[in-house]
Amino acid sequence: MDERIVEFTHLLRRQGARVSLSENIDAIQALGIVGIEDPSMFRDGLRATLVKRASDIRTFEELFDLFFLGLGASLRQSERDLMDRLSLTPQQYQHLLEEVRRLLERRQNLSPLARALLAGDLAQAERLIRQAIAQEELGQAGGQIGVALYLRLAGRLALTTVEEELGSFREMALAEPGDGDKRDRLSRYVEHRLQDLSRMVRDLLRQELKKRSVVAPERERPEYLAHKNFAYYTEEDIRRMNDAVTRLAQRFKNLLTLRRRKARRGRFDLQETLRKNLQYGGVPFRLQLDRRKKEKPEIIILCDISDSVLNASRFMLQFVYSVQDLYSKVRSFVFVSDIGEVTRLFEDNDLQQAVELALKGEVINVYSRSNFGRAFELFYREHCSAVSGKTTVMIIGDGRNNYNHPHDWVLKEIQRKAKRLIWLNPESRWKWGFGDSEMPRYAPHCDVVEECGNLSQLHRVIERIVP
Amino acid sequence: MFSSVEDVIKRLAEQKYLCTKHVATVVYLACAMRKPVLVEGPAGVGKTELGKVLASALHLELIRLQCYEGLDEAKALYEWEYAKQLLYTQILKDKIGEVLEGAQSLQHAVERIANEDDVFFSQKFLLPRPLLRAILSPEPTVLLIDEVDKSDTEFEAFLLEVLSDFQVSVPEIGTLGATHRPFVILTSNNSREMSDALKRRCLHLYLDYPDPDRELEILKLKVPGVGEKLADEVVHLLHRLRKLDLKKKPSISETLDWVRALTLLQIERLDQQLVEETLATLLKYEGDIRKAQKEMKDYLAERKAKIQTAVVTSDKDLLH
Ligand SMILES: Nc1ncnc2c1ncn2[C@@H]1O[C@H](COP(=O)(O)OP(=O)(O)O)[C@@H](O)[C@H]1O
Ligand SMILES: [Mg+2]
Repeated sequence: MDERIVEFTHLLRRQGARVSLSENIDAIQALGIVGIEDPSMFRDGLRATLVKRASDIRTFEELFDLFFLGLGASLRQSERDLMDRLSLTPQQYQHLLEEVRRLLERRQNLSPLARALLAGDLAQAERLIRQAIAQEELGQAGGQIGVALYLRLAGRLALTTVEEELGSFREMALAEPGDGDKRDRLSRYVEHRLQDLSRMVRDLLRQELKKRSVVAPERERPEYLAHKNFAYYTEEDIRRMNDAVTRLAQRFKNLLTLRRRKARRGRFDLQETLRKNLQYGGVPFRLQLDRRKKEKPEIIILCDISDSVLNASRFMLQFVYSVQDLYSKVRSFVFVSDIGEVTRLFEDNDLQQAVELALKGEVINVYSRSNFGRAFELFYREHCSAVSGKTTVMIIGDGRNNYNHPHDWVLKEIQRKAKRLIWLNPESRWKWGFGDSEMPRYAPHCDVVEECGNLSQLHRVIERIVP
Repeated sequence: MFSSVEDVIKRLAEQKYLCTKHVATVVYLACAMRKPVLVEGPAGVGKTELGKVLASALHLELIRLQCYEGLDEAKALYEWEYAKQLLYTQILKDKIGEVLEGAQSLQHAVERIANEDDVFFSQKFLLPRPLLRAILSPEPTVLLIDEVDKSDTEFEAFLLEVLSDFQVSVPEIGTLGATHRPFVILTSNNSREMSDALKRRCLHLYLDYPDPDRELEILKLKVPGVGEKLADEVVHLLHRLRKLDLKKKPSISETLDWVRALTLLQIERLDQQLVEETLATLLKYEGDIRKAQKEMKDYLAERKAKIQTAVVTSDKDLLH
C-alpha cells in the first residue's frame, strides 16, 4: 500500500499540488490510524495530509477515484457475481476456495499469475498485471486501448500460457473423485477466473492510460514553461505565468521572512535597561528595547518594453510589486527611447491592471526604436536624484541600442550613487555583444548581470536580486 | 481524547455542533497524530466554533489567540510587567541597607546586589499571553489560533517556530517548554495563502457551506422552537442565494440570526414584504441585495405556483 501512496503522491505533484516528503509520511501514518477498510475515511485521511490548498481538492478527488476506487469496486463485484452464478453463500464460497487451494498445492509448476488467479488472490494478480503494464511504453494515447499495445502486453504476461494452465487445472479438477456437483462448481469457478483475467487486463490497461491522460497534456504542466523563452509566450502561457509569478512571490516572501527572523534576535534588553537607568537611581524610566530594525531598502526598476523583451519586463514588474512590502519604496519606469514613470499606475490600479497599463505605453511612445542611451540620459537628467545609497536599481532590457550612442557613463554614475545596480537580460548570453548589443559596455558598470529569459532563470536570479 | 471517528461525531453533537464524517475523521486524526489542524473556508461556516466545541467536548481549557494585522510576539507570547518591576526596584532601594549589611568590600556589595537582580529575570514579572499560557499550562489545552490569515508573514514565521517544538526562549529566563502539547486549531478565511512550511506542519480541513439537510439539522438544533415549514423554506432559499455570484454569501451564522429573528416575531412562512424588509440582515452589500431580491421573487413565485397545483390536485381528489 505504501508504494501506491507514493505513486499517488507523485501523480498529485504532476498535477501541480505541492506535496512534500514529510506529508507523504504523514499520509502513511494517517492510514495506519484510520485503516483502509472504510473508503471514505481512507480518502479523508489522505486528503487532510496531502492536500493543503483548497484549489487542489478537486484534482485530488478526481485522481483518488481513478486511482483507488475504479478497480477495487470491479474486483469486489466480480466476487459477488461469482457467488451468484454458482449460487453459493459466502461460507460455501470459502469452502470452494479452500478446495481449490488444496488442489493447487499439488501443481508445482504454475506461473505466478495463474496461481494468483486460481487462488482467488486478485490483489496479487492485479500487482502482476500492473508491473507488466508499467514496463510498456504507453505513449500519449488518450484512453483508447490500441490492439498492438494489447498484444504486446499479452505477450509480456504470457496470457496464452496462463489460459492453458487454467484449462489444464480445470481438467485436473474434473478428474477428481467426488460428487458431480462439486466438480461442476470447480469447473465453473475456473471459467469465471478466466473471464476475470481478461477483464482485469483490459480495465487495468484502460485505467493506466487514463491516469496518464489525466496527467495534464504537456503544455499544462508547470515545468513546460520552465525553459520556454519569454519571447515566445502565447497568451495562454502568459496567464499561466502570471499565476506562477504570484506563487513565486508569495513563497519567496515567506522564505525571506523566515530567514530574516532567524537573523534577528533579542527583545527587551534588561541589562541594558538597568545600566541606562543608573542615572535615575535604578528606577527604569527608560526602557531599552533591542529592536534595531534593519531599514528596508528602496528599489527603482527600469523596464525596456520594446517587443522583444516585453514579457520579461511584465513578469519582473509583477514580481517586484508582489513583494513590494519588502521595500520601503518602489518606483518603476518604462522606456524604449523615451522614458516615463509608471509608479502611479501601481498606486491607482490593482496589480494586473497596472502591469498591462504600464506595458501599453500610455506614458511613452512604444513605436519608436530602442535607444537605451537616450533613455538613460533622460533618466539621469530628470530622476537621478531619486537614487541614493539605499536604492537598488534594476534594469531589464536586451541592451540592443540600434547603434545609437550608448551613454554608458550614466550607468557608471548610477552605480556610484546606488547601493546596487542590477541588469537582467532576457537574451541568451552568447548573443551579447553581437550586432547592436551594447552589453559589453554596460555590464562592467553593474554589480549583477544575469540572463533572465525563462521561468527557471527567473527563479535563479530572484535569489540574488532581492534584499 | 476521542476513541473513534463516531465518538467525535457524538461528542461534538453533544456540544450542539453537527459535523460530517469527513470533519470528524480529520479531527480524530489530528488528535491521534498530535498535529495542528488548519481549518480553511468562507466566513461563518463554523471554523471558530469547531475549536470551541472541541475544547468543551474534551473538557479542556480553551485558549484563544485572535490574530489581526500588526499582532506581534509581545501580544501573543508575553510581556514584562513594567509596573511591577518598577515597584520592585523601589522596594529594593528601600531595603538596600539590609541587603548590604555586613558587606566586607565593595566587590562583595556589588555581588549581593547582582544576586537580587536575578529576581528581575524571573517569571514573576512575566505576563503570559495566549501562546505562553498554552505552553505553561499544567493541563493539556486546546489552543485556538483564530483567523491566522489576518496576521502578517513575520508573525506567521514566528508561529511556525512555536508550533514546531512548543518551546520559547525568553532571553532573560531561558527556555520554557510545554509539559503538554496543546491541541492546536488554526482557522483561516483565506484572505491570503499561508506558507507551505506552516501547511506542511498541519492537517488540512476545508469547511464549506453545509448541504441543505445538514443546515436544516443545525437550525433545529440551534433555534429550538423553529417552525418546520419556516426552517425548510429558509434553508432552501439560502441555498439558492449561495449559488448566486455574491460578494459575500450568507453563512450559517447569518441563517441562524435570521431564523432567530423570524421565530421571535412568530412568523411561520416567508413572504415578499417580509423578505425584502429583512434582507439586510443576511447580506451586507447593496449589489448583493439587489441580486438576491430578484432571486427571492422567483423563489416565492415558484412556491406559489407549486401550492396552486397542489390545491388543484387536491380539488381533483375531492371530485373523485
Ligand atoms: N456544524 C455546525 N453545527 C452547529 N452550529 C454551527 C455549525 N457550523 C456553524 N455553526 C454556527 O454558525 C455560527 C458561525 O460559526 P463560526 O465558527 O463563527 O464561523 P467561522 O469561524 O467559520 O467564521 C456559530 O454561531 C455556530 O454556532
Ligand atoms: Mg471565525
